[in-house]
Amino acid sequence: MIEALGERIDRLLASPVYGIPPEEKSLVLLEMLKDELEYACERNSGLQNYVRHWPVDFRLTRRIADLPYLPVGLFKTQPPLSLVAPAEIKRTLTSSSTTGQQPSRIALDSSTARRMTKGVITIVQNFIGSSRRPYLVVDVPGSVRGGQEMGARGAAIQGLQPFATEATYCLSQGNQGPLTLERDKLLEFAESRRESSVLVYGFTYILWNHLVKPLLEDGTGLDMPDVHIFHSGGWKRLQDEAVEKRAFNQAVARVFGCSPDRVIDFYGMVENVGIIYPDCPAGNKHVPGFGEVIVRDPLTLEPVGKGEQGIVQVCSVLPTSFPGYLLLTEDIGEVVAEDGCSCGRRGTCFRFAGRVPKAEIRGCGNIERKR
Amino acid sequence: MGVADSLMNDFTHIIDSPEEIVAAAEGLRQTAMATEITPDTILDVFEAWASALGAPNTSNIPGVAFLRLWLRRGTLEPIIHRELGPGALHRDWAEDGRARLKAYPIGVVGHWPAGNVEIQPILSAICALLGGNASLVRIPTDLVDVTRRLMQKLDQSDTSRILTGRVFMAAFDHARQDLQEAMARAVDGAMIWGGEEAVLKVRALPFPHWARLAVFGPRMSLAAMDADTWCDKQERESWCRRIARDVWQFDQQACSSPQALFLERNAGHSPEGFLQDLGNAFEAENRLHPRQTIQAALTSAICQARASWLLDDTANKALFSLSPDWTLLLGCGSEIPKPIQGRTLTVLEVDDLFEPISKLDANVQTLGLGVKDTEKEEKLASVAARRGVNRVVKLGRMHVFTSPWDGVDLIRPMVRMIRHVRSTE
Repeated sequence: MIEALGERIDRLLASPVYGIPPEEKSLVLLEMLKDELEYACERNSGLQNYVRHWPVDFRLTRRIADLPYLPVGLFKTQPPLSLVAPAEIKRTLTSSSTTGQQPSRIALDSSTARRMTKGVITIVQNFIGSSRRPYLVVDVPGSVRGGQEMGARGAAIQGLQPFATEATYCLSQGNQGPLTLERDKLLEFAESRRESSVLVYGFTYILWNHLVKPLLEDGTGLDMPDVHIFHSGGWKRLQDEAVEKRAFNQAVARVFGCSPDRVIDFYGMVENVGIIYPDCPAGNKHVPGFGEVIVRDPLTLEPVGKGEQGIVQVCSVLPTSFPGYLLLTEDIGEVVAEDGCSCGRRGTCFRFAGRVPKAEIRGCGNIERKR
Repeated sequence: MGVADSLMNDFTHIIDSPEEIVAAAEGLRQTAMATEITPDTILDVFEAWASALGAPNTSNIPGVAFLRLWLRRGTLEPIIHRELGPGALHRDWAEDGRARLKAYPIGVVGHWPAGNVEIQPILSAICALLGGNASLVRIPTDLVDVTRRLMQKLDQSDTSRILTGRVFMAAFDHARQDLQEAMARAVDGAMIWGGEEAVLKVRALPFPHWARLAVFGPRMSLAAMDADTWCDKQERESWCRRIARDVWQFDQQACSSPQALFLERNAGHSPEGFLQDLGNAFEAENRLHPRQTIQAALTSAICQARASWLLDDTANKALFSLSPDWTLLLGCGSEIPKPIQGRTLTVLEVDDLFEPISKLDANVQTLGLGVKDTEKEEKLASVAARRGVNRVVKLGRMHVFTSPWDGVDLIRPMVRMIRHVRSTE
């Protein structure tokens, strides 16, 4: 079963990433997701128990939205929720987590890891083309080390590696101290690659705090007009500093000497392996052919309509080593359109609106601490 | 100023300065001291208020059906009698050996109600009013509109302005420390309700040294049924309706809301049939009282609870709707589960109800029971009480607000019991 599934996934991966008509895509994904769920239930009795108790029989559903989804919080377990034997796990991805919180842990076997790489390549190619170019990483080299376990930053950095001829890391960190910009190394990189196409990646707050802000302060420009700057990791920390997306893009563009549309924010999460959601020129995030995004009304959990906000659910056919097909995230998003974005990409496009706010503590029944 | 604003200002007051609070408290104190009112007179006004609350713009407010019953003479007279003694209804002195006793108000009582119970600002104020006090109430932001509508009905009913002059509803942001402090300094007593964070913040305010504080802090509640009760197919439907009602009120966020139900095991009966009946009752209750709004975080917590319950143990079972409307989690064991709220009830089968009940502690406020054997129920109630539980009631009546609450009287903490020993004795 898994071999046949693998072939179908590979065929879908080879299809035009944003070119499948939505109705056709829904039908293909629905059948694949059903088969994958069936496969996952055979491999994990806990998941089987959950799916069995789902209010509707998933085999009979006609909408992806009715298939049993898992909340991402379930992946904060040790050992990680997996569909393969421990010996088959080649790498465990971990999410970034705030202090005191458990990170998500995602078990990858070699097939899922391969599809993860292929998925990201397919998406990024659609935005910047397929050629390799010098790669500037606004991070420390240690972010991609760590043997069998890899964090969200490392996964994002490595995801763009296939587009690199060489990688240059422009931050350093001595003995767990603060991140420091290696200014000479950065300026030398900029000087020597001024004429070429360049790829840059950094976590949003790291890019801002450790490269853009210091260079803006002393008026240093990098003069790299043919650059694409990808960043991810969320806006929470920058919102705390009152930095808005538009101002961010303009400031980054000023430092790099490029136009603001070269600054590309992408949304992604380790649990949704192989899929990232970069902003298109219209400012929307698009869903590739091998995935889907559903935004659910918190009151009903039904999909919301165009222009409405709700909890984001991500769907992907790529993983087979963990049950990451249908995941209810802890993020809020808004559906912009079900098709027809001005950028030409087909299918659902949406915008990310922030994390699900923490519940207000206001009730007399809210026991935070035991007596 | 629009009509709506003007109405809001008649019954609830948007406060922006400490001086406004000081002036309001002083006005209340003068009114309370000027005339002595009897509980009997107050009850007449309450009867009229209860009738007025049946109007369409108030009758559908959560808790109002209960409030209307609670305001009736038949409910309140026994409470007054028990807490303040015989004769208190007409403010007569009660003989106590060679002395005589009578309750007098302490003055102005400040109220800090919780934000999750729509009628709580009113209930809290009523307790103090019954003792002859004036009430200065800080209304939680989300409850301003509801409170305004409820007070509007009091205004219509209280034609002689016996009570309306003794209540001041103050609306201000809970983060305004200057206003919180001004209110605390201005009162002679306080009734404080809510979660740990809120309660600790209010208790730390600079109250006068003489101020009496009655604190009703965060608690959780549980339910239990013996095998004879839940296995009785004839009565089961009615019990399930009662449980659903207890879960639904206040969206299961109140201290008196059941979070788990313990079922005594019966070898001949599977709890799955009971779960199905309970699911039907939940579905019916949901049709009657659909949720109007929900925080996304609660939806996430409900989805997480469903999934982890079923994934963690393959012997566990569950019944839930596709929406976050309601959830039943079925398993075994006597450990008290972590409350999920949002109409999520954990149903746990145990060999003996004494197992979970002997594990309860003072975090548990109410134990709702469905037990056929009276002797056994009395034993269960005694064990629960020893462990720290303050209320043991029949299922379906877990939210019935009555005295004592949290083990505390509702009127007496805010009165002074005056003892007069005649000099001629």
